Parts: sequence; C-alpha cells; structure tokens
Amino acid sequence: MARQDALQGSLPLLILKLLDRRGPVHGYGLTTFIEQTSEEALRVEEGSLYPALHRLEEARLVKAKWVVTENKRRARVYEITPAGRKHLETEEERWHSVTAAVAQVLKLA
Amino acid sequence: MSLLSRLARAFRPSRLDEDLEEEQRFHVEARTADLMRAGVPREEAELEARRQFGNRLRIRETSRDVRLIGWLESVVRDIQFGFRMLRKNPGVTAAAIVSLALAIGASTGAFSLVDALILRPLPVRDPRTLVYLTNPSDSPDAAQQETDNDSFSYPLFRRLRDAVRGHADLFAVSYQGEQPAVFDGTGTEVKIEPQWVSGNTFELLGLQPELGRLLNRNDDLKPGAHPVAVISYAFWQRHFAGDPRALGRWFKLQEKQYQIVGVTQRGFTGFEPGVRTDVWLPTMMFTPEALESNGWQWMRIWGRLQPGTSADQLRAMLQPVFTADLQDRVARFMPADEPADRVRRYLHTPIHVASAANGPSDLRNDFTRPLWILTVVVALVLLIACSNVANLLLARITAREHEMALRLSIGAGRGRLIQQLFIESGLIAVAASVVGALLGAASAPLVVGMLSTTGAKVYLDLQPNASFFAFVVLLCGFATTLFGLLPALRASATTPSSALKSGTLRASARIGLLRPLIAAQVGFSFVVLFVAGLLLVTFQKLNTMELGFTKEDVVLCRVEALTLKKGGDKARVAWQQLAERVRQLDGVQSASTSMWALFQGWSWSENVRVPGRKPDGSSPNYLGVSPGFLETMQISLLSGRDFTYHDADPENPVNVIVNQAFVRRYFPGQSPLGMQFSRQEANQTWVPQVIVGVVRDARYNDLREAPPATVYVPTRSQAGEQSLEVRTRMDPATLTSMLRAELPRVYPGMRLTEVNLQSEFIRNKLTRERLLALLSGFFAIVAMTLAAIGLYGVLNYAVVQRTREIGIRVALGAGQGQTIALVLRNIVWIVAIGLVGGVALGLGLGQFLTTLLFEIKPSDFWGIALPMLCLIAASVAASVPPAIRAARVDPSVALRWE
Repeated sequence: MARQDALQGSLPLLILKLLDRRGPVHGYGLTTFIEQTSEEALRVEEGSLYPALHRLEEARLVKAKWVVTENKRRARVYEITPAGRKHLETEEERWHSVTAAVAQVLKLA
Repeated sequence: MSLLSRLARAFRPSRLDEDLEEEQRFHVEARTADLMRAGVPREEAELEARRQFGNRLRIRETSRDVRLIGWLESVVRDIQFGFRMLRKNPGVTAAAIVSLALAIGASTGAFSLVDALILRPLPVRDPRTLVYLTNPSDSPDAAQQETDNDSFSYPLFRRLRDAVRGHADLFAVSYQGEQPAVFDGTGTEVKIEPQWVSGNTFELLGLQPELGRLLNRNDDLKPGAHPVAVISYAFWQRHFAGDPRALGRWFKLQEKQYQIVGVTQRGFTGFEPGVRTDVWLPTMMFTPEALESNGWQWMRIWGRLQPGTSADQLRAMLQPVFTADLQDRVARFMPADEPADRVRRYLHTPIHVASAANGPSDLRNDFTRPLWILTVVVALVLLIACSNVANLLLARITAREHEMALRLSIGAGRGRLIQQLFIESGLIAVAASVVGALLGAASAPLVVGMLSTTGAKVYLDLQPNASFFAFVVLLCGFATTLFGLLPALRASATTPSSALKSGTLRASARIGLLRPLIAAQVGFSFVVLFVAGLLLVTFQKLNTMELGFTKEDVVLCRVEALTLKKGGDKARVAWQQLAERVRQLDGVQSASTSMWALFQGWSWSENVRVPGRKPDGSSPNYLGVSPGFLETMQISLLSGRDFTYHDADPENPVNVIVNQAFVRRYFPGQSPLGMQFSRQEANQTWVPQVIVGVVRDARYNDLREAPPATVYVPTRSQAGEQSLEVRTRMDPATLTSMLRAELPRVYPGMRLTEVNLQSEFIRNKLTRERLLALLSGFFAIVAMTLAAIGLYGVLNYAVVQRTREIGIRVALGAGQGQTIALVLRNIVWIVAIGLVGGVALGLGLGQFLTTLLFEIKPSDFWGIALPMLCLIAASVAASVPPAIRAARVDPSVALRWE
C-alpha cells in the first residue's frame, strides 16, 4: 500500500512521459511499460491507471480513440496532445527541481 | 471528445458504462493471456489478472465521475464566461435580448390563444369520442356560408336520439346569451350566462361535482317540473366566494325560480371555448313552445360514440331522420310557389358528424383563420429577430477571432468552442424567453379583451399551463439553434494561423456569411408588411364604409315593459308616448323606437310577392319602426313621406317605406310610390303592402355586402320590449339618468335594460378586422425596424472592416461617390433578392387571406408596391450612416488603421 501511495501524485506525470516517448498505446500496454521501466518497483493497482487516464483526457492532455488490434479486439488507444506535451515539460522541470532539492536536503542532513 | 458524444454520454450514461467496461475487459484479458504465455494455467491466470486489476466496479464509477463532472464543470465555466462576454457588450446584448423577447413574447402570446381556442381538448372524459352534428348552411348570406349550421330543434333532437340508441348517446346543449337573474335575499340583478342541457349531459361527459350533485336524467323529464340548477366552479367563486351555503339558494331567471343543487368540478368552464357558462338548467325548463316546435332552433346536438360505432355509421343512421324533418319543414314553412330546384336542394341537405373533442365554438369559426395568419406573421417576426441576433453575434464573433484562434492554438477543441458559443447564445435565448413568456402571458388577455363585443363577452382560459411552459422551452431551444448555429460554426471554422495575423484582408469573405441572413430578413419583413398592408386597407375601407345613416351621436336604449306584452292599443300608445316624451327632453334632437337597432345583429326577412313578377326565393329585410326613425338615424327620404302614428293603427292598410335596393330589385324602372306588393305572414296568408316612401340605401347588419333590399314597416306589434334611438350630443350617462327618471312616468314598470352607442355596434362588426389590422400593423413596424437595424449593422460593420481598403482607394484618387457605391454595392443585390423572395412568399400566403380581405386583392399593384417602397426607404435610411462614414474615411488615418 505504501508504494502505491507514493506513486499517486506522480502517476499522471509518468503516464504523460510514457505516452510522449512510446507514442499511442492502450492502457494495458502502459501498465507493462511502467512495470518494465521501473523494474516492478512501482507496482500499481492496475485499475487505478484508468481514472488517471480519463482525468488527463478530460483535461485534454491526452486524447483517445478506439482501434482494432491484430487479434480483432477493440482497444482504446491513448496519445499525448500538444497541450499534454507542454504540460509534461513544465511538470518534469518542477519534478526535477523538487527532487533535486529533496536530495540536497537529504544529503546535508 | 466531441460535444455531441459528450451530450450523448450525458443523456445515455449506459453507453459510457459499456465503453468503460470494454476497456477494463480488454486489460484483464490481455493480462490473462500474458500470464498464460508465462506458463500459468488458465483459471489461475484469470484470477490473478482480476486481482491485479483491483475493484473493477469502483474504478469504473471513478472514471464515470471524471467524465461527467468534467463535462458539467466545462458547462459551468462556459456559462460564467458567457455572462462575462455578454456584460462586456451591454448594448449588443440588450439589443439582442429585447428584439428576441419581443418576438418570443408575440409567439407565446399567439400560442396561448391558439391553444385555448383551437388545440386544447375539453376537460372531460375521453374527449376523442365526442361528436356534434352540423349541416351545410343554405343561408343566402355569403359570410355565413363559410361555417356550417349547428343549431337544431328539440323535437328533432328527440327523434335523432331515439334513432341511434345503442350506437351513440346524444345530448343537447343550448346556445347561450347573457341574461339577468335575481338571487334570493339580494334583490339586485346579476347578469349570468345560463345554458340549458339535456339530463344525461354531465353523466355522458364524465364530469364530477365539486359540491352537491350535477344534473341527471331525472331532472329532465317533464316540461317545467324541474326547477334545479348547477353552477360553475368559477361562478361559485365569483358570486358566492366559494361559500358552501350556495347550495340550496334560489334565484329567478326569466320569471322562473331555480334552486342551486350543485357546483361543477374545477377547471370545467363550459362546452364552448370563447364562452363562459355560469349556470346549467334542464332543457325541460326552457320555453315550452321550444320543446314542441321544430321552428325553434336553439341547441347544438352532441353525442358520445359507443365503442364499435364510427362517425360515418352514426351519420348514416341520422340522415333519414334528418331528411324527414326537412320534409316537414318544407311543408310547414316554405311558400307553395318556392322554386322547385331550391326545395330539392334543401331536401338534400346532408347531416355531418364532426369531432367535438375541443368543443364546437363560434369564436373558433370566426377566428381560426385570423389566428393562424397572426401565427404566421409572428413566426416570421421570430425568424427576423433570430437572424438579427445571429447577425449581431456573427459580427461579434469576428471581432473575437483572435480570442478563438488563441484558444484553438493552445489546444481547445473545436467542439469546446461550439459549446462555448452555444452557451452564450443560450443565455441570450433564456433571458429573452423569460421576458418573452411574461410579455406573452400579459398580452394574450389583452387580445381576448379586444375580441369582446358589447353583446358577447369573450372568455378564454389563458392560465399558463404545462403546454404553455413546454412551448416556451421548445421555442427557447429552437431560437438558440436558429441564431446560435451560424456564429458557432463560424467560430469553429477559425484557423489559428490566418486569424492570428491581421484580419483586414478577409473582410469581404465575412460579409458573405451575413448575406443570406440579410436577404431573409428583407424577404420576411416584406411578407409581414405586405400582409399588414392588406389587412390595414381592408379595415380602413370597411371602417369608412358609407352606412346610409349617421352612426355618431345616437344612443341606443333597450326598453322593457313586460306588462305591455299583450297590451293591444294600450301598448301601442305607450310606445308612441315614449318616443314623444323623450323627444321633448332637453338636449335631445330626435328620438324614435324600433323593434331593434341597426347592426344589433338581429334581422327579420319575409317572402314577398310582387304582381307580375316571378318569385325567386329572395326575401327583403324588414324592420318595424316608429315615426321619426328615419329622422333620428338620418336616413334620407328620397320621395314620399315618413310614417305617422296613423300608419301604426292596425285598422289601417299597411303602408311601408322601402329603400332604393328594394325598388331596384322588385320595381325596376318604375315609380314605386303607391305601388302594392304582399308579404307572407307566418300562417301562410298574404298581407298587402303599399309603398308610401322611398329612402336611401342604409346598411342593416353587414358592412361587406351591398345594402340589402329593406322594407320599413310601422311597428304594430305589442312587444314587451323595444329599442329606443336617441339622437343627442349629451353624454350617454347623463341621458341614462334622465331616462331612468322619465320612463316610469311614461308607463308604470317601463325600464331601461341596456344602453349602447350606435357607433359601438358598428365597431363590434369590425372586431376581427380591427384586431388583425392592429396586430399585423404593429408587427410590420417591428419587422421593418429589425430589418433596418440588421442592414445598418452589417453595412456599418463592412465599412469598419474595410476602412483600410477604402483609405487606400481614396489615397489613390477615388471620389466620395465611388466610395459610397463601393459600400452600397454590397447591399443592393441582397435587398433585391430578398424582395423578390418576399413577393413570391407573400403572394403564396395571400391566398389564405382573400376571404378576410375587402376591396383589395393580394395581387393588387399597390398592395405589393407600397410595402416594397417602405422597405426600400428603410434600407436607404439604414445605409445612410455607414455611407457617410465611408465617405468621410481619411486616408491618412485609415492607413494606420489596425
């Protein structure tokens, strides 16, 4: 549970970053990316990804469309928007400065 | 996500749920497949996939909230933003709201009238199976041929009722008119609207009493034996203030006493829209003669179809009984030498079964067409107002193009822009609808007030009801779509790249979008003006119609002396004295009596025989008058003499005075004085008449037809009632009090029952025409003003947009004339196209108007030319300020314009 909470605030940032780097992908694909890149350190309750995605969609930071996969299943595919990219840039900067500051404090302490 | 799919989600959340579920299912299945590929058995893999996913229902709920709340928040934001934008341009906003409120007010007002008079079914059980009987009118009066006759006699009702027993239940409902009644313990007269109904009426309609009981079959068995009455809920409230002790009270009506036994249910105001009913009485209490004779046609016949019987089947059952009655009437009332083809035609009169779901109504017969015409006019005004608002908004959108482009470039969807603009339009429409609904609710009763005439107060239930509010909401949505669509599409078509640059070069393209709106405005305004013009001319012609008598300064009094009814000589002398005594009063120029007044709506015609002339079934109008009637009414005597009291003596031969129309028809080319003809009396005897005078044609009851052939006879009847005409410049109230004092001195018990002005009776004849002329004239002014404002707005906008271009042209040497031409070129074609469309539409609509018009046709040259000239004048007036503005453009200023 603790790990999950730690992730909560940064999940949108994570999603935007992955979408920016990996291009259009469905929810399940995103889950596997997160697992692979964080080497399972950041395990989420998988379902909680979706409300986060939908919130980003409402804010028009990502957009979604239905596509048909190779094995003829309908999947909802997400993609970052220009506004999402802009948002990602500022958030990323903020994240880095905050984590750098925190690391600095931890080092000095 | 587009606006439409959002809306679809808001109204069909199940679709949203399905989408969310499908997305989750895909995830779980994909995970299961991956686990199975890693060697986990299927069942275990499925379980693990679900566990990792978490609580699917809760997650779905969260997502769903995100979606819907997101949308709702955006709506709230847009509404707030919309308010800010509207406040930023208070002038434009006010103009839009006022013009739209006016149009919506007119529309809702028209709707509540149409609803109350035409659409609304009677508040009774199963109104759809209610019918009433009619037959085509054979009246020689053209105006009455338009509407079917629906009055029948009581004996015929009984035979028809018995003939269809088992297939339909017939009941009879009398015609109405205001009558004086005296309630016990008060002694003062109250004017009430009584109606006589057959005993089964209330039961067949499924009406319930609010208090006491309603009339039933046992109240309608023996003539004169059932002195019971039921009062309406409204009358109970008005007269008794809802006091339950009203039950059991007695009142006197037409010399008979009645006891109140019940109150009808709330909301039931009567059987005829337009007429209020206060009291219901059993038919058996009506005048006994009327129950026996088929000469008294005094009731409508209604019926409730029983299951399995169609209106056609009922008609087939009724026809033979009806035809037998016609045969009886021919034998009894038609002269033996009536032309055979007329008799045959009469005998073939069909009987019709018409739906009575919304209650048969004379008012509806008279006003359906005028109301629909007004509705069309009002709808056109609404369209004009909508396109005007669209104009205003479009111009403003273009001014906000930078804002739109900015919003698009930072990632707002076009759907979101459309939503934003529709919400702004919606705010205007809602404000206008609220004001408009209030206006409409207030104006409809005023219009009904204009319909009321001296003799007939019109009553319509105009309380705003559910359908009124539904209509307002519908109208609001309709208006929003109508004027919001173009601006919204225009805004969503903004391209960020070009809009963020200077906009001046695209000016003419923007005007392009406004063009069809302006053309439509001009065209619709033309139609409204055209219709109004026709109706105004009609009213004007009828209102200034030569009457043949002088309507001004004549006070008409109804005088009653019931004891004179069988008074013989005594009655004759009393009525003579009345005219003489009134003539002596100070301030009275002349006075006379007659059976009734001209234009009172009553008439009497008789068959006549002229020696040496083949009878043709025509019958002149008669009017019994006293000596001095011609002088009082100022009907000029052309030859011969007026009556003397000697002529009124029943011992003497009947001397008559005829008008020119009579001479033209019955004695063409002859000198009529001293000529004889005979008149048919009720008992088939023929009474010789001698012409002693000829007068100018005077109208009798009708303004549209040529004055009818008229015979004035000396009053010899022993009526208990006469009309007293007084020519005086006195105030009618002063005269009334003088008469109240004088009348009992002429004869004990003689009294005034009614005082009217002759001019009022003429006025009453033109209710419909006046109403149409007034309202359509008003809307014509509104339409023209709106069109002119629209034109001005667009031209002005064009000049502002092209200031730079004009500046360049002026700098290059263009004269003022060329500059003005540049601006006006924009508009001349648009106005011309609008006018051509308007003429086509107007002529098409004009066909529905013809029966209401008088001495003017829709295709008359001036009928078309005049509104056209008006609109061209308005267009010129609207173009002057922008043209001046263009002509004054200073190149040095304009070139720096941005």
